[in-house]
Amino acid sequence: MPKYLFIQRSVPGESQRPSPAQMQAMFAAFNAWKEKFKDRILDMGGPLKPGGKVVTGSGTTDGPFVEAKEIVGGYMLVVAENLEAALEVARESPPTMIPGSSVEVREIRETESS
Amino acid sequence: MIEGFGSDVSRTGITGPGLVEHLFRREYGRLVAVLTRTIGVQQIERVEDAVQDAFLAALTAWTVRGLPDDPGAWLYRVAYNNLAGELRRTAGRLRILERAGDDALAERAEDPAPSYSASEVADDMLRMLFICCDDVIPPESRLVLALKTLCGFSAAEIALRLFTSEANVYKRLARARDRLRAAPFGAETPPLDTLASRLPSVHAVLYLLFNEGYLSAHAEQAIRRELCDEAIRLTTLLAEHPAGAVPETFALLALMHLHAARLEARRDGMGGLLLLEEQDRSLWDHERIRLGAEWLERAASGEVFSRFHAEAGVAAEHCFAPSFGETRWSEISNLYAMLERIDPSPLHTMNRAVAVAEWKGPKAGLAVVATLAPPAWLTDSYLWDAVLSDLHRRAGDLGIAQRHRERALASAPTDAVRDLLRRRLASSI
Repeated sequence: MPKYLFIQRSVPGESQRPSPAQMQAMFAAFNAWKEKFKDRILDMGGPLKPGGKVVTGSGTTDGPFVEAKEIVGGYMLVVAENLEAALEVARESPPTMIPGSSVEVREIRETESS
Repeated sequence: MIEGFGSDVSRTGITGPGLVEHLFRREYGRLVAVLTRTIGVQQIERVEDAVQDAFLAALTAWTVRGLPDDPGAWLYRVAYNNLAGELRRTAGRLRILERAGDDALAERAEDPAPSYSASEVADDMLRMLFICCDDVIPPESRLVLALKTLCGFSAAEIALRLFTSEANVYKRLARARDRLRAAPFGAETPPLDTLASRLPSVHAVLYLLFNEGYLSAHAEQAIRRELCDEAIRLTTLLAEHPAGAVPETFALLALMHLHAARLEARRDGMGGLLLLEEQDRSLWDHERIRLGAEWLERAASGEVFSRFHAEAGVAAEHCFAPSFGETRWSEISNLYAMLERIDPSPLHTMNRAVAVAEWKGPKAGLAVVATLAPPAWLTDSYLWDAVLSDLHRRAGDLGIAQRHRERALASAPTDAVRDLLRRRLASSI
């Protein structure tokens, strides 16, 4: 079955912080989502720390780029029959519940030898 | 380690559908109270931001890795580290600007996360409540500040509950925080025994909080209940603490329990309001009535007879009357008369008039009303016309009754109240 990489992005400073009551509702929804799709979630991944470095052939620079409008905040690995099934997981996933946050879904190309 | 934290969480379980109601809000209030005492009341905004960020971090971390052993302690540690980092950066910035480096801030940031017992958390919550009711905070900001810091409501949620705009809530919060920012060093840790002078203000805020829920015309019962529960929770904390364990506090808590016991029965299945005589008394919460009676008994010590004593007494009379017809209206009339002496208000006189009418008949009730020089705010309210319409109808003056009925219906604040008035005043046509 194809695998998909979920890339979560958010716009820094854009979102209003949710209230404790809203966060409690979100947490309940997250757990329900995790339970519902537990067979499709291969690796929950996790949030990425800010900062980090960018390495190229010509050297190492600071990253991610401070001027970027959106920053990658986390990743996840999902297995699904097809793109539509993967999107179904994404649509109900935690990041889509956070204002100013989005999920990019990309199929991982199978290599010949696998 | 941090006993005070997490005990609620671990005992009751935070996972899945069994998530304890309002757990995040409550934990928020505890964390803000403890950290404010640690870092200083001047930093309250930073404390709130740090706590909120800790919850955001928890959302992801707990979803991915499951719950930590002690979620409360986890939240505390993360919030503390957020705050310490922020304070270190601020201290650094201040040094760069060659201003008087705030060494106290930096020093506090270096403190290891201290540990607390449950009783110390209760101390901190109460301190926060007393800070919210400090004389330096404008009166109209006190309730809002308490709802924000101790109950964990957002500005939007407060606006919804107090029937005001979000901008207004922000304005009141900003005024409160301005005053706190200017508070002298150590204002966050006043010795609790010096706080007795602030008790009347604390009582007033708790009473207001309860009434916002109990008397609110809010359509959603859950929202009203929630405010009543918050008031009872904080008042219980106060009543069980040496700093607040005085008869007035006990009477206030008794009053809240005795009213809250009848909250559900005041509504019919359709969301309409029910009159006292229409209510199914078997729906009253008898466990709560018992609690209220217990606190009222404890309140009956000492010399003081406060307005809360009188109001709790009235509520108790209703709770213990087997039926509407068997209510001891003479006792209720006397309690209202005492209330008028302690806290003169034409509203109390109106209530006494209603009780006297039940006790001695409508003409006696009207005689009580006749002693009033009612202010415009009262004569313009539906209550005034509703009471007069009812008393005149029962006294046989149908024409006067009808005029007041029309005015009452026209000034009723909500449809639910209007429906109730139509039923109550129906037979005057």
